[in-house]
Amino acid sequence: MDHAIIVEKLNVWIRGNHVLKDIDLKVPQGSVTAIMGPSGSGKSTLLRSINRLVELVPGTRVKGKVMVFGRDIYSEDPYRVRKDVTMVSQTPNPFPHMSIYDNVAIGPKIHKLVKSKKELDKLVRWALEKAMLWDEVKDRLHEPPTVLSGGQQQRLCLARALALKPKILMLDEPTANIDPVNSKKIEEAIKALVRDEGITVIFVTHTPAQAVRVSDFIAFIYNGRIVEYGPSRELALNPTHELTEKFLRGEIG
Amino acid sequence: MMDSRTIKEKAFLITIFILTLLGVTPVFYVLASVFYKGIEAFARRGLGILIKINGGILPALVGSFVLSILSTIIGVVLAFVAGLFVAEFPNSWVSKATRVASRSLLEVPTVLLGMLVYIILVVPTGHFSLLAGALALALVMLPYVMVHVEQALESVPQLYKEAGYSIGMSRAQVLFGVSVGIAKRGIASGVLMGFAKAMGETAPLLFTIGAARSSLPCSILSPGDAVPLMIFQYAQMPQEYYHDLAWAGSLVLVIAFLVVFFVVRRLVKEVRY
Amino acid sequence: MKGDKLLYYSLLPFAAVVIAAFILLFAVISYTSAPAIKEYGWRLFTSSAWSPSETGPKSSKYGLLAPLYGTLVSSIIAVILALPVTISTVLVIEEYAPPQTRDLIGSLIEIMAGLPTIVYGLWGLEVLAPILKVHVYSPLHQLLGFIPLFSCRPFSGYNILTAGILLAIMVLPYMVAVARDAYRSIPMTYKEAALAIGANRYEYAKIMMGMIKPGLIASALLGFGRAAGETVAVALVIGNVPLISSCLFKPGYTISSLIANQFSMAPLYPYMMNVLFTGGLILLIIGVAANSVAVIMISRSRLR
Repeated sequence: MDHAIIVEKLNVWIRGNHVLKDIDLKVPQGSVTAIMGPSGSGKSTLLRSINRLVELVPGTRVKGKVMVFGRDIYSEDPYRVRKDVTMVSQTPNPFPHMSIYDNVAIGPKIHKLVKSKKELDKLVRWALEKAMLWDEVKDRLHEPPTVLSGGQQQRLCLARALALKPKILMLDEPTANIDPVNSKKIEEAIKALVRDEGITVIFVTHTPAQAVRVSDFIAFIYNGRIVEYGPSRELALNPTHELTEKFLRGEIG
Repeated sequence: MMDSRTIKEKAFLITIFILTLLGVTPVFYVLASVFYKGIEAFARRGLGILIKINGGILPALVGSFVLSILSTIIGVVLAFVAGLFVAEFPNSWVSKATRVASRSLLEVPTVLLGMLVYIILVVPTGHFSLLAGALALALVMLPYVMVHVEQALESVPQLYKEAGYSIGMSRAQVLFGVSVGIAKRGIASGVLMGFAKAMGETAPLLFTIGAARSSLPCSILSPGDAVPLMIFQYAQMPQEYYHDLAWAGSLVLVIAFLVVFFVVRRLVKEVRY
Repeated sequence: MKGDKLLYYSLLPFAAVVIAAFILLFAVISYTSAPAIKEYGWRLFTSSAWSPSETGPKSSKYGLLAPLYGTLVSSIIAVILALPVTISTVLVIEEYAPPQTRDLIGSLIEIMAGLPTIVYGLWGLEVLAPILKVHVYSPLHQLLGFIPLFSCRPFSGYNILTAGILLAIMVLPYMVAVARDAYRSIPMTYKEAALAIGANRYEYAKIMMGMIKPGLIASALLGFGRAAGETVAVALVIGNVPLISSCLFKPGYTISSLIANQFSMAPLYPYMMNVLFTGGLILLIIGVAANSVAVIMISRSRLR
């Protein structure tokens, strides 16, 4: 199996705090990986190290290697990296000053992925469909995103990311701030994307049930270290590490 | 019977309400005087003074118009880009120095900016000009507009910038496409208030534009007049006629200011100078 | 990152212009005042004589003492009058007024801050000064004439006190804005704590004002700086006579109104321009000093 992402001996310090410690991780292509762990364990930082968003925080130091499809991303232009490895944040953040359409179109526009308006229209529609939002917004594409509910906004953010045709999609607790119905739609969208488009997905979650429902692999992270990594059902049913067991029982978190 | 503690409290409340009332009364008084005396002046001298060159206020109106446009162009471009720089690279030492310089300019008496332009532009060219006045006004408005641009950009939530970076936008694309877009109302209101400021200033014009009010300016390099400067000089004349012109000019100035104020009010909740 | 560097260096020149403008201001004003300081030395600051002569520097007499005195006294009067009003207004807006009244007062203060200064000047000249003379100064002189401040007869409304009162009105909105910022920075827990110990509204206000004391000092300093630099409005009401008197009903002069009135004649007399720039230098130093101390006070007043 080919690996989409290989992380080797990754260490991250933020303002002197050692947030990630000796992370090793191999993510197979076309799989869904859940990064699971209690809050403050470094889940988000790990995600942000893979698209170099972590550097936006002043006083951050990164040591180690992150390979994406064989490319060492820390020796590349970070903006190129983020086009191929796009991310959806925890809080819905569609650009409030742009229409729903423009929110999805902005990515392809700046990266010059399309040549004509027609092609762009097609790509926007495709992305919205994949995010399971098309039917709800097709009549109001030119309204601001603020007319949408929080859950719809989050799916709009998913569509904005998908419009770049990314090889890897990362989601940082994508359902933490939204209702169950919208959560279910996002989970379904993720599964369909992997099945139909072969996209590799990594997402952060703190609920074991969601991790099992959606992912093929789970990485359990605690205090900046990966404690356990393996196929989802196996890890959830037979954790080999005491900490994992405790987390699954709800004793830490 | 009230105890002394309660009496003290009551007296305190009454005092602060009276003082507050006393504090805001002048603004009513000033506005009422300007409207009353301004309208009276127009009634006595006719609306024709608006378009009269000799013995009218047309040269001042034209001069003020040219000055506010010209100074807004110079001042806003400078303030906008410098504000972007300071907000985007807050930790660079150049930003820190720029901040100190602009905050200090904000508190420098505006008459000094006129004196500066007198030495660097009027003396070398040998004559007064609207351009010199516009440059002085641009320096007056620069720190105001800059503060607004900075504050508007700083109030853009990190969340949206992160969204930009997450889809591979470069720093310039995030700055111009996301931050400026989201902050545009705040920036626009800052620009408008800089414009209002430039329109109403007098001191920077004393030694720069030359108070040429017997003819219309033929270019930005020729001397000219401005409404505030005309008011200042006419107010000191003995003749009633000139006092009327001064009040008429004040009315025009105040109406223009109030229009800008209410436009800005619609753009943002709080207006700051 | 290459793109970042490009962005940095393309915006940088504009920021540099701002720094350069400020340095240039200091340089030009210092440079132009140097000849006067060299020629007249300390006499510039210790005498009030003002008799320009076309023949040469030796026969001209220039002294900035009276204008300096007028600047300081009128600005101090302004701050003394405006400070209690500032404190009251902040308390009323932030604590005691119903929301709609609060917005109304807020808007009025904003309009007050933005009105062109020349409008205040014209109003001071034609409306305020005559009223003050008849209804305030004359009764004050009759009742309290034994106090040196009110001992001289008010011949007109154009004097240092009128300048101070007009300046108080003009600087009030700035002082309110600074004090209000400081007040808003008080964390809720402190307010709750004050109420929890059973403070009534007077005691509560006293505790809060104690908490934002640096902010109030900053507000007063910035108000003072603005007042000292105000030019045209003061020039219209202060009387423009270089006098130093303990009586507030006497006309006076300020540095900025001296500059406004004399600048057009200055090129005709040797050294007069340089003397006026020396006045400008004093204003610059007052402005920058007041601002710097205020900035320090504001950073100290940040309670969270």
